[in-house]
Amino acid sequence: MSEVALLQIIGLLVVGTGVGILLFIRSKFLRVGGFVIIVLGTFSLLALGVPQMASLPPAIETFDITKVKTPDDLAGIGQKIFFSKGQCALCHSIGPSESARCPDLKGIGAKLSPEFIYESLTEPQAYIYLDFRHEGVPKEYPARMPYIHKNPIALSKQEIYSVIAFLQKMSGEPISIDVDDVLKMRDRDAMTVAAVATHGAAANAGE
Amino acid sequence: MTHDVNAHRPSRLPSAKCCAWSLLWALILLPAFAWAQDAATQAMSVEYRDIPGLGSRNVIWIVAQQHLLLAGFVLGVPIFAWVCELVGWKSGEARYDNLAKEFTKLLTSAYATTALFGGILLFLLIGLYPKLMAYLSDIFFPSFLAYCMLFLMETAVLYLYWYGWDVMQGRKKWIHLTLGFLLNLFALGIMIVPNSWATFQASPVVVGDGTAIERAWAATWNPTWWPVNIHRLIANVVLGGFICGAYAGIRYLLAASRAERDHYDWMGYVGNFIGVFGMLPLPFAGYWLMREIYQYNQQMGITLMGGFLAWLFILQAMLIGVLFLGANYYFWMGITYRIPGSEQRYRRPILAMLIVLMVCLGVWMTPHSLVASLEEARKMGGTHHPLLGVFGVMSAKMTVANLMILVTFMSFIMYWRAGKQETAAWAKIAKSVMGALLVVAGIAVVVLGVWGYFVPAIIRINYFSVAQVLIVLFIMLTFTPLTAVLMKSAKVTTAMVWGQMPVRSAYCLVSNAVMVVLLMSLMGYARSSSRVHWHIYGVMRDTSEYAYSPALGYAAAFMSLNTFVFCLLAAFIFWVATMGDKAKQGPAQGARADTPTGMPGMAPAVAGGAPTGARTGTPTGTRTHE
Repeated sequence: MSEVALLQIIGLLVVGTGVGILLFIRSKFLRVGGFVIIVLGTFSLLALGVPQMASLPPAIETFDITKVKTPDDLAGIGQKIFFSKGQCALCHSIGPSESARCPDLKGIGAKLSPEFIYESLTEPQAYIYLDFRHEGVPKEYPARMPYIHKNPIALSKQEIYSVIAFLQKMSGEPISIDVDDVLKMRDRDAMTVAAVATHGAAANAGE
Repeated sequence: MTHDVNAHRPSRLPSAKCCAWSLLWALILLPAFAWAQDAATQAMSVEYRDIPGLGSRNVIWIVAQQHLLLAGFVLGVPIFAWVCELVGWKSGEARYDNLAKEFTKLLTSAYATTALFGGILLFLLIGLYPKLMAYLSDIFFPSFLAYCMLFLMETAVLYLYWYGWDVMQGRKKWIHLTLGFLLNLFALGIMIVPNSWATFQASPVVVGDGTAIERAWAATWNPTWWPVNIHRLIANVVLGGFICGAYAGIRYLLAASRAERDHYDWMGYVGNFIGVFGMLPLPFAGYWLMREIYQYNQQMGITLMGGFLAWLFILQAMLIGVLFLGANYYFWMGITYRIPGSEQRYRRPILAMLIVLMVCLGVWMTPHSLVASLEEARKMGGTHHPLLGVFGVMSAKMTVANLMILVTFMSFIMYWRAGKQETAAWAKIAKSVMGALLVVAGIAVVVLGVWGYFVPAIIRINYFSVAQVLIVLFIMLTFTPLTAVLMKSAKVTTAMVWGQMPVRSAYCLVSNAVMVVLLMSLMGYARSSSRVHWHIYGVMRDTSEYAYSPALGYAAAFMSLNTFVFCLLAAFIFWVATMGDKAKQGPAQGARADTPTGMPGMAPAVAGGAPTGARTGTPTGTRTHE
């Protein structure tokens, strides 16, 4: 018997009990109780009548850095980090956005050198802080750029350079990060990043 | 002045033998200390613990829901208890003061249980989700301290407010009112501080460097904090009002005397009125919250409205629809039974309102995509119905939600005006203007709704929906004072009679309370599930075995269970709270039974009741209508 069928039987029993109380019990207080359980049972039965979709979490992806062969592979990993572990997308948008709390990063890979981006991520107060504010009235939630290589985000060098590779790629620039150089940075054995998808794969609960 | 250094010296110095024993013990215990440290380190690395058989998430779900519902009641009741007390003080009518005291009595007994569930929840969270709690503690510790301070202040003020009620009367009343104000102020703090923790989980902002207070403040001021604060504040008033209404409904059913029946009929009316009063702006606050969620993260908004939670909003529509119907039905019963002779006069408007409400409910409940077999879907050309499909989109739903609010507001206005004759010279013009405004507002809401189909979504969301909300608010904000002025000079043609409501009115009040509790449970599930597999959205992933969001049927069964447990808890708390009263009233009950008290005749002016002293008579028949 499926979970839905079992819950439907329980719901029917609950409603039946409520009806029984209303029919056979004279105590006013208990009759109110019977009425309440009829309402609750009916609500459950109705909810069991609509499509039953559960939200399942996506699998945790593990990336083996040794398998990175091309700059595009590196940018692919950087993209995943940008939208997950790096938390970049919490504040930055790629393209104009009303809700973004920090500068739009579209085309940033073409405007800034990798060294400058690296410094902006690891020493955010060094230079970029003065420039991040927009012209005119400051935006509603001006977030302060965190040190990306320190806790709680704590990206490794390899991860940071992967993000830079992604920023260059999405700006239409050739990726200037050398894969071999990144592979030599052995400050982490492997990069483990959570899956990008923020919505779980919907699956039928009955399956 | 010299200080005798020997004064505090121990009388006996440790001997060499003693030192040797200590050293030996230290050597023996060293591995044990090391082992303990290992265990501590190991414990620190535990991310989750489970309760076998029950499941950690299920346990947290039940305890958190009970805590939240009790807290909603405890934070909502002081608002209208204080307003009642203020009205009583200003008008000099003792019954408002008595009512406020009765509300507060329910509050004091619920307060301890709320705190108890809060404590249980905290222990369970620390034990079952240590990693998440460590992360949140690291960010929010200063606000934990603030919360403790607020809780202490709230408790102290509540004690003073409750136990000082009879002492602080007359010239000292202002002190009591000030305490009531402070009670609400601290209650607001108690609500908004934990809201920051919960909203940070849903809409986190990057927390950079800085002092502990700076970091906590940055995390607190997240995009959904204030929308949730406002939404919960209003929802707490609605919950408190309807729960008090249900309490009055049950007491009305169980009333042993005429006086009790009259009193609880009136209290039921006030509870329903407070619930409706809060319910009218609540959809607007909900709309603002959803808008902020969409602005924060479109994916989260889509998960809620168009993803696996889409069907949840059909259930929400059903619950809200039943709640609107219940609240209106109670008003209509009030017109019929409390104002003799009004039944015929208002039959047609009531019928028209019922039809509008039912049509609106039908539209609101129409899903965007229908549940259809493959063959049916082929015939329709998809799951989007060719005719009903137009009702499945937001433009239609916003329109009917606004119309339902308008109708409910008009039910209230009708109740207010029933049994009275306006005497002001300008009354006819005022009524004509109000009638015209109502028609224009209704048409404008519908036109904007239909127009919304033909403009880009951003225009509809930013301008059309906002305009619809403003139109309805305009009607409420102009009609209320205008009607109040008209009623001030109105002549009472039919006095209001309390204690005549049928039994089903009490069931209606109970149903309203159950609907609100179910709604809060449902939307709590929605809020939590919108984070999908994240403890903190996009920041800390849920890697436990409970990272999935359960299907709606399973969740609804849990919500029903939670609602039932809450009803049992509330019944027990209220029973305990009123046990003493029954003992006190016991000996005098027989003497007072079936003796009109005079109180119910003095209906609240805003409620459409007769002004003080205007009662023209009390029917002798006191049997409630079955």
